[in-house]
Parts: sequence; C-alpha cells; structure tokens
Amino acid sequence: MVGLGIIFAPMFGAALVYFLTRNAQHIAKYIALGWFLVLFFISFYWYKHLPSDGSFLYLGEFLKVPQFAFSLTLQIDALSVAMLLLTAALLVLVVFTSWEEKKQAAYFSLLIFFSGPIFGVFMTTNVLWFFMFWELTLVPMLFLVGIWGAENRIYAAIKFFIYTHVFAMFMFVGFYLLFAQTGVWDLLTIKEALLATPALIWWLMFLGFAAKLPVFPFHTWLPDAHVQAPSSISVLLAGVLLKMGAYGLIRFTVELMPVSTLLFAKWMLIFGLITTLYAGFLAIYERHIKKMVAYSSISHMGLVVVAISTMTYDGLSASLYEMIGHALVISPLFLIAGWLHHKTHTWYMDEMGGIMKKAPYVSAIFILAGMAALGLPGTMGFVGELTIIVSAVKAYGWWIAVIAIAGLISAGYIIWAIRRVIHGPMSEKVAKADFSMHFAEKFALSVFAFLIVYFGINPQPIFDLANKAFSFLGGM
Amino acid sequence: MNNAVFILLTAPFVGAVLAYVLGKVKRELAFWVAEVVGFVLFLASVVLFLKYSDTVIDIDYTWIAYGNLQLPFGIYIDHLSIVMLLVATGLGFLDIHFAHDYMGEDPDQPRYYAKVLFFIGGMILLVITKDLIGAFVGWEFMGLASYLLISFWYYKHSAANAGMQAFLYTRFGDIFILAAIALLMYYVGTVNLVELNKLADAGQIDKTIALVVALFIFMGAIGKSGQFPLYPWLMNAMEGPTTVSALIHGATMVNSGIYIVARLFDFFSYTDALFVVANVAALSAFIGSTSALVQKEIKKILAYSTMSHLSIAFVGLGVGSLAAGMLHLVNHAIFKALLFLSAGAVIYIAHHQKDAWKLGGLIKTAPFVALFMAMGSLSLAGVPPFSGFFSKEMVVAAAWEWGNGFTKTFVTIAALLSIAYITRLWILIFLGEPRHESIGGSVHKPSNLWMRLPLGILAFLTLFISIWQSDIIRYITGGEVVEPHVAGLTAFMLTGMLILFLIVVGLYVKGLNLLYKISSHHFVQTIHQVLFNGYYVEAMITWVSKNIIVGAIAKSARWFDTYVVDYIVNKTVDFTYAVYKIFRAGHSGKIGTYMGQFVLGVAIIVIAILIIVKGL
Repeated sequence: MVGLGIIFAPMFGAALVYFLTRNAQHIAKYIALGWFLVLFFISFYWYKHLPSDGSFLYLGEFLKVPQFAFSLTLQIDALSVAMLLLTAALLVLVVFTSWEEKKQAAYFSLLIFFSGPIFGVFMTTNVLWFFMFWELTLVPMLFLVGIWGAENRIYAAIKFFIYTHVFAMFMFVGFYLLFAQTGVWDLLTIKEALLATPALIWWLMFLGFAAKLPVFPFHTWLPDAHVQAPSSISVLLAGVLLKMGAYGLIRFTVELMPVSTLLFAKWMLIFGLITTLYAGFLAIYERHIKKMVAYSSISHMGLVVVAISTMTYDGLSASLYEMIGHALVISPLFLIAGWLHHKTHTWYMDEMGGIMKKAPYVSAIFILAGMAALGLPGTMGFVGELTIIVSAVKAYGWWIAVIAIAGLISAGYIIWAIRRVIHGPMSEKVAKADFSMHFAEKFALSVFAFLIVYFGINPQPIFDLANKAFSFLGGM
Repeated sequence: MNNAVFILLTAPFVGAVLAYVLGKVKRELAFWVAEVVGFVLFLASVVLFLKYSDTVIDIDYTWIAYGNLQLPFGIYIDHLSIVMLLVATGLGFLDIHFAHDYMGEDPDQPRYYAKVLFFIGGMILLVITKDLIGAFVGWEFMGLASYLLISFWYYKHSAANAGMQAFLYTRFGDIFILAAIALLMYYVGTVNLVELNKLADAGQIDKTIALVVALFIFMGAIGKSGQFPLYPWLMNAMEGPTTVSALIHGATMVNSGIYIVARLFDFFSYTDALFVVANVAALSAFIGSTSALVQKEIKKILAYSTMSHLSIAFVGLGVGSLAAGMLHLVNHAIFKALLFLSAGAVIYIAHHQKDAWKLGGLIKTAPFVALFMAMGSLSLAGVPPFSGFFSKEMVVAAAWEWGNGFTKTFVTIAALLSIAYITRLWILIFLGEPRHESIGGSVHKPSNLWMRLPLGILAFLTLFISIWQSDIIRYITGGEVVEPHVAGLTAFMLTGMLILFLIVVGLYVKGLNLLYKISSHHFVQTIHQVLFNGYYVEAMITWVSKNIIVGAIAKSARWFDTYVVDYIVNKTVDFTYAVYKIFRAGHSGKIGTYMGQFVLGVAIIVIAILIIVKGL
C-alpha cells in the first residue's frame, strides 16, 4: 500500500495543498519539502531492502481489472531504486532552489503532483500504466514551464509538450504491438512470453525514448524548454525527465528485447556518437548561457546512449553512473545559468564577465560543476567518462577511443564559458547587478557540489547499485 | 598505509581547504598554513628518502569495480618517485616561502595558497601512483591548478586568456592519455605502470599496440611539458604571478611529462617511440632556444629557456639515457626555480616592470639578487662547475653517441645557445644605466629572510649538487650506467659557449649601436619577427581553432540545427495546421454549407450503394 500511496497521494493531495495554502503561500514549500523527504526516506528504505541477487522487490498488485488481466503491478529493482533515490533527492533540492519562487501555492502543488507519476514511471512494471504515468508527468511540467518560465515560455512549453507527446505515441504503438503479440501487459510476463520481436517494435520504442533522452535529430525541443523553464524546473527536466528516456531504453529495449537490441546496437551507437559530438559543437558555438548548458546536457546523454549500446555488464553499469552523474553535474550549471540571467538581465555570455569578483562562491561552484562536466578527475564527470570509454572500447574495439574527443570539446565550451562569464574584466551589466543569493539556494548548490566531489572520489556505492541492477548481464 | 605516504596524499588537499578557510578569517593565516603544510610535505619526502633506500612501497587498491572490469588506483614509490617528490616538495616549499613577500600585498592570498597546495598535491599524486589512471588524476589536478593560478588575476583579459589557453592546450594532450588508458585496458588488461614495464621487458605486448599507446602518452607529455607543437601556452602562462611560474617551471607541472616517460622508460624503449621522443624534443629544443634569443620580457626569455631545457632532458631520454635525462630534469628544476625566483625578486624591486629593455643597472640596488641570478644563469648556460654543465654535457654526449643527425645537431645548437640568451638577459637587467623611470628613485628592498634565503639555498644547490651527481644517477637508475663519452666534446662546447658569450657581451655592453644597426636590416627583422612570435605556431593553432573548429564545424552544426532539424520540426507543425485549415473550411457555421454537405454526403452514399449493388 505504501507504493500505491506515494504515487496517488500526491496526485490527489496536490489540489488540497493548493487550496490549503492559497492564502498562506509560504507554507506550501514546507509541505513539499516534508513530502519529498518522506519520498527520499522510503526510497532509501527500499534501497536497503533490495534482494541481493538483483531481482525485483515486489510491492504489490493494485487496481485489478480481472476481465482484462490488467492491474497496477508495483515492483522495483536496483535500476528503479537508483532512479527513485535520484528523483527524490533532486525534488528535495529543488524545493530549496525555488525558495523564493512566485505564486508558491500553485508552484509547489504542481511539484507535489509531479512527484506522483514520476515515481509511478519508475515503480510499475505494467507497460500501460507506465505509459499513463509517462504522459502524466508532462502535465505539471507544461504548467511549470508555461507559467513560471521566461519571456518565450508558452511556445517552449507547448513545443515540449507536443513533441514529447507525439513521440510517446510511437512508444504506445510499440506497447500495443507487444500486447497484441503476447496478450499480457506486465513487463516481466511479456519478457517470458516474448519469442522474437519484429524490428518495428524495437524502432517504435527507440524513437519514443530517443526523443526524451534526447538523441539527435529529435533534440530541438530541449534547448527551448530548458531556456524558458525556471532553473529549478530545468533541474527536473535534465535530472529526471531525460532519465526517463534512458531508463525506458534500458528497461524496454535492453532488458525486454536483448536480441533485437544486439541487432540494432550499432544504430544506437551511431545515434549516441552523433549526439555527443554534434551537441558538443553546438555548445561551442553558443553565446546563450543556458542553451550552452542545455547542449552540454544533450552531449552527455549521448555518452549514456553509447554506453547503453554496448549491451555489456560494465557498459550498462557505467551508463547508470553517468546518468546520476549527469543529473548532479548539470543541475548546478542550470541553476547558476538561470540565476545569472535573473541578476544581470542578459542571457549572453559575452555581456557578462568578472562575476568572480562579485559572487566568488557561486563562481567557484560554477567552475567546479564545469570541471565535472568536462570530466576532470575528482568529480563524477571523470568517473562517468572514463568508465564509458573503457567499456565502449572493450565492446567495439580501438576505434571508439575517438570519443575521448568529447572530453576536449566539452573542455572547449566550458573553459570558454568560464572565460567569458566568471573571468575577465567586469562588464557594465555585472557591475550594476546585485548578486545576493538566498541561503536556501546556496545550501542546495553546496549539496550538489559536495555530491559531485564525494561520488567522484568514492564512486563505488553507485557502482554497487549499478552492478546489482545489471547482474543479469554478468556473462557479457 | 605508511604514515608519510598518508601525509603526502592528504595534507596538500586538507591544507588547501584550511588555507582558504582560515585565510578568510585572517589573511596571514593562509600563508602560515601553506608554509607549514609545505614543510611537512618536504619532511615526509625526506623521511621516505631515508627509510626506503633499498625497498619500494607498493600498495594495490581497486578504485572502481564495475561490471566485469576493475579500475585500480595503487601506490608505488621507488627511487624515481622519491627524487621527484624531493624536487616537488622541496622547491614547492621554497616557493611558498618566497611568496610571503612577493604576494604579500595581494588581497586574494587565501585563494592563492589554496591553489598552490592543490597544485603540489597533484604533482605528488602523479609521482606516487602505480597506475596510469592515478597518474592521470594527478596530471589533471595539475592542469586545473595551473589554469586557476595562471588566470589568478582573472580580471585581466590577458591573464584570463592565458589560463584558458593553458588548460585547452594541455587538455588536448590529455585526451590522448584517456584514450591510452582505454586501449591498455582492452588490449593489455592492465594500466599498471610497473607491470607495463615488466611486460615490455618480457616482450609480451603487441608492438603496434605498445607503440600507439606510447605515442598517445607522449602526446600528453607534449602538452604538459611544452614540446612542439603544444608549447605556446608555456609562454603565455607568464601572465600568472612569478611565484606560480617558478612552481610550474621548476617544481611541478612541466616535469610531469618527462617523469611519465621516465616511469615508462622500458615500455617506451621497447616500442621505438623513443625515436619520436628524441626528434620532437630536439626540434623543440631548437625552437625554444632560438626564440629565447629575441624576447623582451624577462619571464618570456625564461619560459622559452624552460621549453628548450625540458627538450634537452627529453632528448636524453629519447636517445636512451635515462640517467642523463633525469639528471638534467633535477638540475633544471633547481636552477630554473632559482632563476624564476630571482626574476620575481627583480620584478618585485622594479615595481612589476617585466620588460627587460626597461630595466638595467640593477646590480647597484640589488647585488645579492644579481649574484644569485648569475649563478642560476651560469648553471643554465652550462658553465663548469655549475650543475647544468654536467647534465647538459651528458645529454649532448648521449645524443652524439646514440642519436641521429637531426637530434645531434639541434640539441647541440640548443645547448650552446643557452649561454647567449641568458647572458643577454642578465646584462639587460643588471648592467648599464636604468632605462626606465619606474626603477629610478625608490625601490622595494628584498628582505633577507623571505627573499634572499630561498634564493641562497637554491644558488648553493646549483653550485654543489654536482658533487653528489654520480650518487644521484646511481640512486635513480639503481646501478652503474654506461656514461656516454665523446672525445673532445667538452672542449668543443666550451669553445662554442665562449665565442657566443663574447659576442653577446660585445653587442649588449659595448656595441648597442652596432646591434641596432644590424637589427634594422630588413632580413634580420623578418627573422626576428618569426623568432619573437615563436615560429607562429600559436597563430596557426589559433587560426585553426577559430576558423576550422568554431568557424566551420561548430558554425555549420549550428546552421544545420536551425535550418534543417528545427526547420523540419516547425514545418511539421505548419503542415498539420494546413491540413486543419482544409478541414476547417467545411465548418463555416453557415446553414447553407451544412445543407450542401448533407446533400453531397447523401449523394456519395447513394452512388456508393449503387456501385456496390451493381458490382454485386
């Protein structure tokens, strides 16, 4: 029942929170914070109680419809738990980073609502419910971007919504074809019943997840959405929503259809490689600070796709580490990019400069997170990059070592960004701006910085979880 | 784990945090934290030196176990590591000590000392790790630290650009090491540096793979140690505080490339990669020494000389003499630290005037600094009995004995030219009359304790370290080495140096007019420009990155993204809208339209039915 509760309680409770706090706006964030902490501790409890052999922890079967053999089956394995912990942690931190957001009652009610379906996505093994939760996460996001976003928010919100919705339809057709073939909706049962899968199903699934990740050429919604979204929502978009794509890719292609995936792994690799390099070059050319970070985010997700495409035990472990690393590294960059725009009223990096003098603490965290993004040792970025390159070379041979170039491209855009934003003489816009920051936001940034370094030096806890998640690939 | 090793691993990083935090409370505390930590690190290295004269420290540790793979992070300290540790921590400590006055007025001291300690920590990490992964971690730490220190005065355009350049140039080399790690994991199954040497000795690695890996690692070394073509960052790095230059050029960063080749010496010699090392290094030595002849800034002259002397050390390794290369590395580290710190003292005295042409006559105001700098210069020039003479002689002899014609010629030219540029520099600073108003009148007086003492210690070392020279060689190589011996080489070198010395003295002391006349000639001007700009390598790299990488590749990616990918997305929307409009036309809200549609619909149905019925 706990499982069912943490999915549906926020979806129904959100309205209640809104009406309760409408006249006392500042209370909403405490309710949200409390709830997200509860989510975190429950996820942590599950993490501690995972079966040691890498199988699923069964949480129950709800809302049965016996006529159709259909029910909401909740069960989680190490991969889900990793995602749940990440989601809950980001939600908690996002409350701190949105401490001074406007219209708090509505904002935090939507965040609380969002926590329901996003947990559902990672917890259920019923593909139809998975799809419903997947779609439901879009609704609060649409409003969060559309109401609290920047100048061009409506366009971005609607583009984001329609784009990902349309591609979810491909996925849905894929799910339906799976059902038509096997007659069941539960992922684990499908896996047993499934003999051979037509290429069509694989490609439909891949398209659905590729647009979410996003993979070139389905990425254009992301820069728009990220730029217009408030920074805290960018954190959720990059940290959680993109991870849904990677999660789906692992669950529904690698785990469900290993044979087809092996067949099409080369395509996945090509998409991943192109995404990494292409988005990297876009980031180099970009003047707009938040778009630069957004392209950097796409570029790193390309590496995740490369790692998934290896279809090996170590490759997938590395991909899960990089997913978590990406979330923790890109979040402070988004937060600071948005904050700088808020303070200097410009998006363009060449109009900033000399921030270091006025905001040394934030600058230091920007440099640290930037270093993590370009893969400097001692941070999560390095471990992710190193493990992915090592396992990709192991899977594909020597030539894949060229993805080391990604480390140079990212150095290019990050260092150049630091040069233009943090270093250099102080620009007029910076000189005029007041760079005070609320304590809650500083706290959240410090937590991100701490996690980046802590798991960069001691990555084994995450890899233990990842190894557990993919131990079924042990022989590969 | 051994206590001394534990201190070496943790103290720099803990110290960096402490220096920053305590420095924020009270500014002087930052210096004292750094001073104490620097001294403790040096003591720990000395303890290792005394305790481990005939054993090695060897610790295995698995850092990351993921899937079926294990990435190790071991500790391995042998004589080579201990020598590097002594150089890094000893010179590092003196550098921190010297900074007390040199950086004394800077408001950002906490930041400065935190970065310096982090820097030294990176070097320590590099020299005590057993695996290429650990070495890469230390390697990159230094990359970050040097970046932050070079752009320490970040509010200056030039300093911010120089830092960016340093990071990107060295990073370009570093990604090859990252690729080398992956290739080693795949083909050899180990990144253990000691193991790699053993496998190479036993001939158990595929030669092609080993060659590729060795060249990749050497690419990293080219970036860090400022070899052709990735050297321009080394010159622009002079934008940082002079104490940082001393740290980069003497104690830490630039030595790392030579260290990694020395550490993998057996592996490199197994693969013929040493041939490439020797030739690239000889070319770099030539470029560095000729460019140093015409530079104006004190620090740029020293920077080109660093490049040239690192290359000489590399040539020593490249032609197969580990002893000659490492000995020159150690000697160079000491005299270059001395030269940079004396240059720092000069700049301090002259109120941050760095242009050698605007100084002059400083021998009267700073006789001690002049003496110390002269000792460093003589050592760099290779005048007996200073340390530089012996090691340089050894490298050149080795090159004559084992190197090819190219290596031999270029390294000899580079070795000879060092006396010319360093004499020129010393004369410009200390002799003649003051050429600029900034050094007339009041000057900063260097204090005995903070400035002259470290200079004195270093000067002492340059003069007397060669007494223990054969012990050092034996200590590093672990046995007797075949010393190259070329008859008549010493006489040839000394004669050449004397001639060059006399020319330079003649031109710069007595014949300035003649010098001006020569240099105004068109042909000389052209050569001067080429040398002054470091053979335009920087201009070429800048052109490529600006016009090819950003201007062509990134720009076309951007164009493609806007006008193809996103265009299609938006056109899809337009298409949907167009379809909607067609259907919308039918829903005009006018009763007549609906009636017409009704009639049309009925007609179609009737016709359809008729066709079906008839068809049946």
